[in-house]
Amino acid sequence: MSAPAAAISESTAPRDPIAVYRDDGVIARALGRVGARVTLPAPVLALAGFAPLLAVVIAEGGGASDGVAAVVLAWALLTVGASAGARGRPKLVWGAVPIERLTEYVALIWIAALHGESAYPAAYALLGALAFRHYDLVYRLRHRGVVPARWVSALSLGWDGRLVLAFVLLVAGTLPAGFYVLAAVFGAAFVGEAVYGWVVVGRVEQPLGDDEEDDEL
Amino acid sequence: MTSGLSDTRAAPDASTIPAAQPAAIGVAVVLATALASDGRPAALLPWGNGTVVGRLAEQLADLGVRAPLIVTRPGFEAVVREAVGPAAAVRVAASVAEDLRLIARAARDAAGQVLVMSGDIVTHTDALEGVIANPHAGTRILAGGRRRPLAFRFQARRGRLVSAASAYHAVRSPNGSFLGILRAVPDDVEALATAADRLAPLVADAPEAWQDELDRKAARWRAAVTRAAADDEGGDDFAGPDEPEPADDRSDEDSAPVALSDADEASWRVRVAAAPEDAVALLLVGLVRAHVDVTPIYLRQLFWARPLSADAAVRAAERITHYDVDRLLLESAVKSADGFFTTFFVSPYSKYIARWAARRGFTPNQVTTVSMLLGVLTAAAFATGERWGLVAGAVLLQLSFTTDCVDGQLARYTRQFSKLGAWLDSVFDRTKEYLAFAGLALGAHKMGDEVWVLACAAITLQTVRHSSDFAYMAAAHQVITVTPQTPIEQPLDHAGVQAEARRTARTAGERSAPAKRPLASRILSRWSRLDHSPSLRWVKRMAAFPIGERFAVISITAAFFTPRVTFIAWLAWGGVAFAYTQTGRILRSIR
Repeated sequence: MSAPAAAISESTAPRDPIAVYRDDGVIARALGRVGARVTLPAPVLALAGFAPLLAVVIAEGGGASDGVAAVVLAWALLTVGASAGARGRPKLVWGAVPIERLTEYVALIWIAALHGESAYPAAYALLGALAFRHYDLVYRLRHRGVVPARWVSALSLGWDGRLVLAFVLLVAGTLPAGFYVLAAVFGAAFVGEAVYGWVVVGRVEQPLGDDEEDDEL
Repeated sequence: MTSGLSDTRAAPDASTIPAAQPAAIGVAVVLATALASDGRPAALLPWGNGTVVGRLAEQLADLGVRAPLIVTRPGFEAVVREAVGPAAAVRVAASVAEDLRLIARAARDAAGQVLVMSGDIVTHTDALEGVIANPHAGTRILAGGRRRPLAFRFQARRGRLVSAASAYHAVRSPNGSFLGILRAVPDDVEALATAADRLAPLVADAPEAWQDELDRKAARWRAAVTRAAADDEGGDDFAGPDEPEPADDRSDEDSAPVALSDADEASWRVRVAAAPEDAVALLLVGLVRAHVDVTPIYLRQLFWARPLSADAAVRAAERITHYDVDRLLLESAVKSADGFFTTFFVSPYSKYIARWAARRGFTPNQVTTVSMLLGVLTAAAFATGERWGLVAGAVLLQLSFTTDCVDGQLARYTRQFSKLGAWLDSVFDRTKEYLAFAGLALGAHKMGDEVWVLACAAITLQTVRHSSDFAYMAAAHQVITVTPQTPIEQPLDHAGVQAEARRTARTAGERSAPAKRPLASRILSRWSRLDHSPSLRWVKRMAAFPIGERFAVISITAAFFTPRVTFIAWLAWGGVAFAYTQTGRILRSIR
């Protein structure tokens, strides 16, 4: 398959599913290479980033200054990003995923709060678009053994890139419109590519192997 | 999966397997070798005007397996040939070792899948179909619950066998039993033949350790025979449907010798004598020990028996007629590991809607789409911000949820599964819930109450909870993939060897203080003891806040109170559930 064709079609090589679920971007993957040298287990490292964020969110709420927010978010990005490559006990690696997701969503809601209450509906729209991607990553891998096309994953920026972009949008004073635009772009790209994958690529309906029934309720 | 401490992954049932194409069975080997109390193969026990194996051959023919290979002992070939008709080929093997060599040859010569089964099994054609007729999934066995003390048992984790028993092999912590039917896909046929070749010389001259294991099983079965007789089951057929949920698993090991009545003593002897004849169980152990993926297909509500006496065959014939297979198939279409609300308030009637939809010719994907449309209407009704809108939304959400249950049951009942359907169902479930949140927040805004931040918190909590489910399951799956296996010569499985080593270390009386188990492990074992308490099962399932409970909370609070109350109640229960499941998972991971 030529390089351009590969870029618009879904990638078939399902790697480690936990690595897929993490939804890491370029920054987090680079940090992960550094984190590989840290001996702490991945969830501990991720928690070291999320705990200060949560503490500041509770203490300061929407009243925190941009400077404080920048420091707290940068620290979360650094540590949670490093957890992408953290070794520790392999049985524990799964534990970093929910913390990483919690970090991203809480940070986005907080960035909306820093702008003011009027940004909450926009934050909800953005979270909705991201939730679609995060479920799609899991369900597509489970039902068809593929991950979304490379261009969507590049466009999605990964959780790390989205945090940086959201903070830039806040500082630039573009909220809540910025979040709405982001939600619309992401939503259209994520849903469109998923539907394209089903309709064009996966048109032949394969019967379901019975080990693939839904487990979550 | 949302239950944090109990691994209740819904395993497939014998009756819910798609049967889209005819079976591509290359060769079917039916073993009419185990002897009944009359000294003849149990497969020749009377069944109506014919025999048990004759009935089985007819059932196989119905499923497209027209020329099975029937293996029997010298002296019985003529009777067996008469019993199974001209289509089947009858082969003679003098011993289990010869059975195994014959199976290895037949498997290598065959093109396609290989079926190996005992010839004395009495069960429904639908149960056979679940194992035989699905060309898509991997190597599989017919399986029952663990409450069949006279059957060989296995341990399955997340829908895969990690250990299996034979006359000479033991399973530590069994959670299911092998019901004598094994189907290997082409990819695993060579592994099957290799296992048979390796086992043949071993069974011909069973090592001492193997003999000890058989003696231990025989001792355990003495107790089981009396218990089975007391249950009015007949001690020799280990028959019946699966028990719903075992209350406890009594450890039968090292118990004092049991005194048996003459009849029980006789049936015990027959069972013990039949055990080493079971080449199918040996092959299963061979496959599992060779790291082959084997999926258990559960019998659940259907009937299964291996009669070892004429009386037992008569009893089995009497009992199997009382099974209403259509009703049982419909029952089986209901997921076994659903939440409390779904199980008691939705499934009891949704399955009849599923049957109605099946008769009207609706497809599962059509029902899924209707459910999604109802979900959109729910959000629109909530968004009005009027009392009538909240009430209407509450009702619509329940209708949407019921149709959501119907689509899965319809798929299982009519055996129409598709990958797109599964993906749509999963994605639409999340979409409906998150649209409802948005509708409620919009409605509250119209009522002058800003709850968008609560809606953001709710979508975050649910997405994070699910991400924990997914990542934990993926990690557990990876752990199973690398589960170590002991060599086939070893009677004990890996866990058994470890337990043995611990016991030896203890009795060696090392002077150091008794090794303390890690705290996590102790808390966990206490916790999992609670797991087995049936009264707590539903409490635990509710504590995990599954979808039925979540939708019920939304409907009830929205209809009677305000969106703010809905979010607070939902977040409180969801937060507790998250803490509860995370605790269990962390304990499991660090133990």
